[in-house]
Amino acid sequence: MATQHSRAAARVMISPAVILLLGWMLIPLGMTLYFSFLRYNLLMPGANPFVGWENYSYFLSDPAFQTAIVNTLLLVLGVLLITVVGGVLIALLLDQPMWGQGIVRILVIAPFFVMPTVSALVWKNMFMNPVNGLFAHLFQALGLAPFDFLAQAPLASIIGIVSWQWLPFATLILLTAMQSLDSEQLEAAEMDGASPLARFFHIVLPHLARAITVVILIQTIFLLSVFAEILVTTNGGPGTASTNLTYLVYAESLLRFDVGTGSAGGVVAIILANIVAIFLMRMIGKNLDA
Amino acid sequence: MGQITLDKVTKRFGEVEVIPPLDLEIGDGEFTVFVGPSGCGKSTLLRLIAGLEDVSGGQIRIDGRDATETPPARRGLAMVFQSYALYPHMSVRKNIAFPMKMAGVPEDEQKRRIEGAAKALNLTDYLDRRPGQLSGGQRQRVAIGRAIVREPAAFLFDEPLSNLDAALRVGMRLEISELHERLKTTMIYVTHDQVEAMTMADKIVVLRAGHVEQVGSPLELYRSPRNLFVAGFIGSPKMNFIEGEEAGRHDARTIGIRPEHVSVDPSGPWSGVVAVSEHLGSDTFLHIHETGLCDVMTVRAGGELDVHHGDRVRLSPDLSKLHRFDGQGLRIA
Repeated sequence: MATQHSRAAARVMISPAVILLLGWMLIPLGMTLYFSFLRYNLLMPGANPFVGWENYSYFLSDPAFQTAIVNTLLLVLGVLLITVVGGVLIALLLDQPMWGQGIVRILVIAPFFVMPTVSALVWKNMFMNPVNGLFAHLFQALGLAPFDFLAQAPLASIIGIVSWQWLPFATLILLTAMQSLDSEQLEAAEMDGASPLARFFHIVLPHLARAITVVILIQTIFLLSVFAEILVTTNGGPGTASTNLTYLVYAESLLRFDVGTGSAGGVVAIILANIVAIFLMRMIGKNLDA
Repeated sequence: MGQITLDKVTKRFGEVEVIPPLDLEIGDGEFTVFVGPSGCGKSTLLRLIAGLEDVSGGQIRIDGRDATETPPARRGLAMVFQSYALYPHMSVRKNIAFPMKMAGVPEDEQKRRIEGAAKALNLTDYLDRRPGQLSGGQRQRVAIGRAIVREPAAFLFDEPLSNLDAALRVGMRLEISELHERLKTTMIYVTHDQVEAMTMADKIVVLRAGHVEQVGSPLELYRSPRNLFVAGFIGSPKMNFIEGEEAGRHDARTIGIRPEHVSVDPSGPWSGVVAVSEHLGSDTFLHIHETGLCDVMTVRAGGELDVHHGDRVRLSPDLSKLHRFDGQGLRIA
């Protein structure tokens, strides 16, 4: 790639891919922006007049919007907390030498391979169902009244399901990070008189800082857009108890057929996601340097 | 105090016995070097003394007390690792303070000891840096500093210089020797480099496959190696071994003569053809073929000697410095 000629040729040759990807991103984004300024409801066909910020003011003043924001944050933070803490603990266990290590590790990764709709349905029908679910049987065996998870604690249940899906991812990344820790450092700490607990907090955890950062960044991006798990379990309800921003956008555009407000919601979601991303990079992105 | 006694210490990994029962006495204040080829068990032995590996049998006594089952931290030993094992997320100051923090040493005492160690090791300007920002030699000194502040009964060094370049290695060798002179603490030092062993040790322990081949001062090992292995391992360049008729003439199966005890002499009894001559300035090392005695004979000659590839030279051994070995490879006195 040294000469000017070859550099120009390279640019020409990668341009189709770049143009395709750019179009792929810019056209939907442009159309969403465009729709968000139109009165565009599929139930009222006809003219789609330009209405300025009307869709935005409807969307932002909708009481469901505030609930959705809170739910989105609870969902993201809850799952992050469970997966990071749980991931560190499971990785610690898996890092110990044991019989059948390879198989156990594959089993631990397994939930990540199950698609979200399937795992959510399995949880809904086989575990959390108040009549036939395993938990219901367990409660009855103990003489307790069955607990209807999805009706009484919908958001917590969804946090549980999503955590189950993402725990393997966190475990995997943290386990590989843990295995890259120089054993001489642990031995040095042992010679220095550090107890196992002190070794974990002073040596292992700081070593994992970068991996934890990666887990938090990647998971946040995906957790902001959790959708399938909500759709197949609670449908955002009861009421709006388990509606997050993604689901609210879906409800606006495909349940109420209001494409304009849905688009405005999409744009709001993009802006909020970017604000979160900027804050995340500011706060913990510095861990990725050096 | 720092007297360490190994009594029939054994180590097995599964079925493999890496260290057969081994006895060793390390006196208080001694600089002891474990030396041997890689895989001879010298690092394992050090880790047994440190407590990082459990012994399979026998007893380790430190200052007369049985320490076989004592956890590493309570043995009063400090170790410097081959990779230095510094904590990368802590500043130099915190690295050095870590063992004291774990032991609950009061803050001002910690500060005093850190400053003392930093001054002794020329680290005062680097106390607030991270290990990643230091050079190899500086990291090495931080690792030593972390060991010093614990005021241990003995220091254990596991090949501490093997990651440094040649020039730094010579410098650090001197620093560690000076440190030993100053602290007068027992030190056990593991290396595969016989030059380090010769230059630093009060006592060298030569190991092969877990066995102690010989224990003695550097000059004892140089002057009277107990067997062929020690003879070949100690000294640089290696001793020349001659078998056959010439050895028989001296009533031995094998005779050994060090390169520095053979001289180029026009009236000498041996002759050969120069294959390579390495001119170091102070010395010239000649690698001589076709002597009829051994494959290649190494000779250390004066630095200004003008010989080249293909020259035929005559050699004369210093017969008073001849080493004789019997059929088992043991020294004949």
